Parts: sequence; structure tokens; C-alpha cells
Amino acid sequence: MNNRIRELRGNQGWSQAELADRLDVSRQTVNAIETGKYDPSLPLAFAIARLFGETIETLFNPDA
Amino acid sequence: MTSIKIRRELGGCFFAALAYIATTWVCVWLLKHPLIEAGLVVRAAVSLIPMIPIGFAIGAVLRLVRAGDELERRIDLEALAIAAVAVGMAALTLNVLMDAQVIEIAAHDATVWIFPALLLTYVAAKIWARSRYQ
Repeated sequence: MNNRIRELRGNQGWSQAELADRLDVSRQTVNAIETGKYDPSLPLAFAIARLFGETIETLFNPDA
Repeated sequence: MTSIKIRRELGGCFFAALAYIATTWVCVWLLKHPLIEAGLVVRAAVSLIPMIPIGFAIGAVLRLVRAGDELERRIDLEALAIAAVAVGMAALTLNVLMDAQVIEIAAHDATVWIFPALLLTYVAAKIWARSRYQ
């Protein structure tokens, strides 16, 4: 599933490790989500959306 | 944060494994030397002493799995599933080969190798599973 997390993280000037710390997950998990290799659970998707002030629908695109 | 938690819990697993090895070594030594002619109950009780560090090891492994995030848990689950099925089927295949008298392995030797085989297969499967998400 495609998402805009890399773009939003870049806008904030955060590294993958910094974002991982904020979400309490590993850097590998952030990387896997950004590259679309892993789809996060609903609670993690909500946590990501809340962190960036977005909605899940604007963050993730299941059709792409 | 997560990796710090995992590292701390890995340390717990390491100490539990060390405690198990030390306890087993002492028990085997006791059973082969001072207690060689002890009664069945005493020998059984001494043989079961390593169950105590095994209990600590189970607790440590549980904390290690819980310290991981959702992707790490998925990787662990995939690795454990592969290891359990691979080692289980290998044991059954070995049994058939022994029945057919193709190979001969003492039952004692075979049981000793089950856990190391499970651990090695788990590590190899985890490396493979992790590479899928990189």
C-alpha cells in the first residue's frame, strides 16, 4: 500500500530513527511502512496520522 | 526506544541461558559422581533442577517478544512457524529413515539435537523473514 509518510517525515526534517522513536517502533518498521513492504495495524496507522495531523485516508492509498 | 528494550531483554535471555547451562552442568556432575548410587527419587529431583532456569528463560523470551513492535512480532511468528514445521518434519523424516534402517542414531543423541536444531532454524528463518521487509 502506497503512503505519504516519507514525504511528511521529510517535511518535518525527521530521520527514520526519530520518527520510530516518536511512534515507539523500530527504524526497520518505519522503513518497511515507507517502502510499502509492510502495512501497519489500525492503531499504528492512527498514531502515524495523529502525529502528522492528517487522516488515515490522506496518508494511505490502498488503490496504488 | 524499541531496540533498547529488545537489547535489555536479550540480556535477560542470555543470563537465563547461562544459568541453565551452569545448572545442567552441576546436575550432570552430581549425578555422575556423588549421587551415582542415589535413589530414583533423588536422581529424578536433581535431574529436574534445570527446570528452574528454564522457567526464567520462558519469562525472558516472553518479555523479549513483548518488547518488539508489531513488525518484529510478525517476523518472529513467521520464523517460529518455519522453524517448528521444518524441525518437526525433519524429525519425522529422520524417524522414517531410522525405521527403514537407512541411518542409525541413538534416541538420546536425537533428542539432544532437537532444541539446537530448532534454535538454528529459527535464527536462519528470522534472517530470511527480516530481509523480506528491508
